[in-house]
Amino acid sequence: MKTTWLALCMAFTSTPLLAADDSVEINAPAPGSVSEEQGLTAWSRVFEVASHPRCANCHTGESDRPMWSGPSYGKARPHGMNIRAGASRMGVETVACQTCHSTSEHAQDTAHAAPRVGMAWRLAPPEAHWFNRSSVEICEQLRDPATNGDRTVQQLAEHLNHDLILHWAWHPGPGREPAPYSLLEHINDLLAWGAAGTPCPTK
Amino acid sequence: MIELTINGDTHSVDVEPEMPLLWVLRDELGFTGTKYGCGIAQCGACTVHIDGMAVRSCQRPVGDLAGADIKTIEGLGNPETMHAVQAAWTEQQVAQCGYCQSGQVMQAAALLSQYPQPTDEQIDAVMSGNLCRCGTYPRIRAAIHAASAKLQEG
Amino acid sequence: MSKLGTITRRTFLIGSAAIAGGIAFGVYKVKQTPDNPLSDDLAEGAATFNPWVLIDSEKVTLIVPHADKGQGVASSQAALLAEELDLEWGGFETSFGKPSVAYWNTAMAEEGVPFMSTDESTTAETMRGVMSGAMKLMGLQGTGGSSSMPDSFNKLRQAGATARETLKLAAANKTGVAVTDLNTENGRVVLPDGTTINYTELAADAANLAPVQDVSLREPGEWKLIGKPMPRLDMPGKATGTLSYGIDLEIDNMLHATIKVNPRQGGTINSFDATSAEAMPGVKQVVEITNGVAVIATNTWYAIQAANAIEFDWGDAPYPAEQEDHWKEIESSFTAERLDKEWRNDGDINIAVADNRIFSAEYRSPYVAHQPLEPLNAIVKVTDSEVEVWTGHQMPRLLQQQVAAITGHEAEQVVFHNQYMGGSFGHRLEFEHVKQAAEIANQMRGTPIKMTYSREEDFAHDFPRHIAAARGQGVVKDGQVHGIDLSIASVSPVNSQMGRAGLSVPGPDAQISAGAWNNPYNFEHYRMRAYRTPELAPVSSWRAVGANGAGFFFDSFLDELIHEAGADPMQERIRLMEHDVSRKVLEAVAEMSSWGSESAANTGKGVAFVESFGVPTAAVVEVENTDNGIRITNVWLAADVGTVIDPVNFENLVQGGVVWGLGHAMNCEITYADGKAQQSNYHAHEGMRIYQCPNIEVKGLENGHKVRGIGEPPVPVTAPALANAIYAATGQRIRELPLNKHIDFV
Repeated sequence: MKTTWLALCMAFTSTPLLAADDSVEINAPAPGSVSEEQGLTAWSRVFEVASHPRCANCHTGESDRPMWSGPSYGKARPHGMNIRAGASRMGVETVACQTCHSTSEHAQDTAHAAPRVGMAWRLAPPEAHWFNRSSVEICEQLRDPATNGDRTVQQLAEHLNHDLILHWAWHPGPGREPAPYSLLEHINDLLAWGAAGTPCPTK
Repeated sequence: MIELTINGDTHSVDVEPEMPLLWVLRDELGFTGTKYGCGIAQCGACTVHIDGMAVRSCQRPVGDLAGADIKTIEGLGNPETMHAVQAAWTEQQVAQCGYCQSGQVMQAAALLSQYPQPTDEQIDAVMSGNLCRCGTYPRIRAAIHAASAKLQEG
Repeated sequence: MSKLGTITRRTFLIGSAAIAGGIAFGVYKVKQTPDNPLSDDLAEGAATFNPWVLIDSEKVTLIVPHADKGQGVASSQAALLAEELDLEWGGFETSFGKPSVAYWNTAMAEEGVPFMSTDESTTAETMRGVMSGAMKLMGLQGTGGSSSMPDSFNKLRQAGATARETLKLAAANKTGVAVTDLNTENGRVVLPDGTTINYTELAADAANLAPVQDVSLREPGEWKLIGKPMPRLDMPGKATGTLSYGIDLEIDNMLHATIKVNPRQGGTINSFDATSAEAMPGVKQVVEITNGVAVIATNTWYAIQAANAIEFDWGDAPYPAEQEDHWKEIESSFTAERLDKEWRNDGDINIAVADNRIFSAEYRSPYVAHQPLEPLNAIVKVTDSEVEVWTGHQMPRLLQQQVAAITGHEAEQVVFHNQYMGGSFGHRLEFEHVKQAAEIANQMRGTPIKMTYSREEDFAHDFPRHIAAARGQGVVKDGQVHGIDLSIASVSPVNSQMGRAGLSVPGPDAQISAGAWNNPYNFEHYRMRAYRTPELAPVSSWRAVGANGAGFFFDSFLDELIHEAGADPMQERIRLMEHDVSRKVLEAVAEMSSWGSESAANTGKGVAFVESFGVPTAAVVEVENTDNGIRITNVWLAADVGTVIDPVNFENLVQGGVVWGLGHAMNCEITYADGKAQQSNYHAHEGMRIYQCPNIEVKGLENGHKVRGIGEPPVPVTAPALANAIYAATGQRIRELPLNKHIDFV
């Protein structure tokens, strides 16, 4: 386990996006060294991220409507313009997400403009339902391979590392509040939660 | 220099790669049929087709577009030889101020390539990103149905 | 500027208090016919018969001086001319012409008289004539107040007939055939034997004739164009993107510019640092302008990017920084000191109140932005000898004066090229953006400057619709509405707007309570008082102006009283309506909407009636209360404009007015924090999208005998009709706009 974490750590430092984010070091917890209590604390921070508008707005479950919520938008509402991501989760049935959310490495520097990254913009799959969900519900969803894309916690961490849309949550550009903590801290929390045996809160 | 293919012709522009296609079209190349409305993908006035898909040109850094097939309203048709959508727009007397209509027409043309006989629900799903401050929506709906009929007749 | 202009510039005769002075110096000048501006540079062989018709050997050109903001008035004006001139539709060119006293608006000031539009007494008509004379004295060429058709209807038909008869005279002289034996059709004079002579062939001869003034206009039964659908002349250009707006023009050697001006409107600039901006790609120069800075660049985007990189220290706003304090000022204005005018005091409201149970309610209407889709822009080129301006504007002659004051030229040296506008809704009555472009160009003499606002700058500097609040007390008796006592407080939109143009406006502002004071109901007891709050954030005319807020207040309150009385909202309005033409629009929407038939589950209908710009307008809105919020399903609207010029354009404008009114009632307001508008783009001030657009059925009635405009009147009824429908569907009474502060919409 330890070598895997170290390997992940190496991967992080070689990723340009994360290179700038070097204030946090991954202290890979030894197997069994993370107590359930510590794991739950780590989870509460993971939940803060998952439930933050930068993440939850595009984890809307069975609904194919992304949400607009958070400090930029006032009252939570479905994405304007009657936008539906469809079964494709990329809007190709109606208006493709990429109509406005360009696939581009050029950073979006205009406030309130359509977010973009170097991969095709999309809505998370229906089973990853976070918007308006409780900590318990999201925790159960993330630790169950049937609803988390058949991933181990390490695989979830790897997924976080190469999904550029997720990276965007911490660099959303002007006019949008970033997700809390940082990508590295989030991954560390996720791994600590995994090392503690993926404990979930009961309420 | 960035080489662009617009309406079948090649154009070279010397601009920053971050510059949105919209401003290259308007201020560098004189394709002023494509309009600036909001700059943040809220109004759809700048809609063009890139490789057949309707996109907001205010959101496309031009540096990403070398090799892409770009079509603007000028490439869709002209007053002498109108595209079916433009002809329907004229016959249905859609426009008021008309400033959004280039974008509406480009989005409607893309809609009709995807759904040749769209329902009102499909029209509402695809056209809702195109803001019309004058409120010509009832006529836009009618014109899309009319354009569909024209295209069906061939 | 003319001497006369100097005399009258400072006093725009809106209030009754100023009118006496207007008569005193007006009589002689008012009777003078202004010079024909087309005569100034008339080519050899070309003929002009009046300021609207120019014919040479090549073509017929119709001057259509009313600004086309999208309402299609270029086509409508051309139709009035072509009707009498017998032109083939489209067989002519149109031009907005150059600014001229000759194009003074004969109808625009009529709304300013303190008489109801239904009042056609000698006194009222005399006052309207005086107001019109004042407009002429000022040479006030303007588009606004839904006045283009009232202004043009007789004038342009007369102009067309004059040209026609003069051409016939030229043909008679040429052929020896008597004028009475000549006819005209499709741009030709027709001889008895069927041969024809094109007008263009007669131009040179006609140029030497005095225009025939003694002409008669055709009877409605003879009209070939008026009242029938006419394909708008601008439609192919707008469907193909080939029609150029001001923002699309390119002038040789032009540079692009954008501005950053203190977002606290009217606040000063303490300091700025443009060091990094000046080094950015494409940037040519950064110059100071009033209360801000302009970036000049090779491309608009470069200019906007650089402007965003400038650091500013802005001065404070000259109005309360926080929105809540704006409301406090409004709410504290219902005092004797701030009474602007008691407009109505019919019956005795005190008796009514003493005898019956009082029902009371309070309402609010917010600041709302115009935000037409074409951002404000202007191209200005300044040289020592003249200034050229290219932009779309509703007040050409005032624009000349405003620009001249900046560049130090005479107003006549400002050559103004008016343009088709990508919407206005009142936004292009303002001068700030043109003045800013002039300030920039004046520092770059010889170089044309195209100044374009970013959308964010446009939002920051919109002079929005005024906020207002109302307090109503009412009594019902025997199942009927018995008396209404309504008080409305707001800043004066007219004073704020005219003040920026250097015009003072004495007397009460009818727009504070337009839609409420002038409603043609006959209540047994009706008191209506308007209170004026000292200026807060600067405000302006917003499509239909005062009737939006005041119409919402009045009609919502009436609806509440009708429900209190247990009466039917439609039948009680019809019962109360004294004015025949107005009652018929109510009866029309009752029939169109099948009022009284059973409603489907979770649906409700609301009716409203508001008169604005002399147009009685009634609408029924139907909504469905769904799990996801309110869905607007149907709208029926009837309005009486006396004569419908073009039924297709009429329908389009009414449908658009409904979408405009409903969209803003649903979800739009401007609020101030730290002195700045908090809404910066359409995501926060959205209006209606196509998926929210209901079916809209429209009927134009022609019972009134004056020709009226339809640009604005469809708007004010929409908000109260929607709120009344929501009440009918949900039982929830919403007394504040926008409605989405209290209920969700689908």
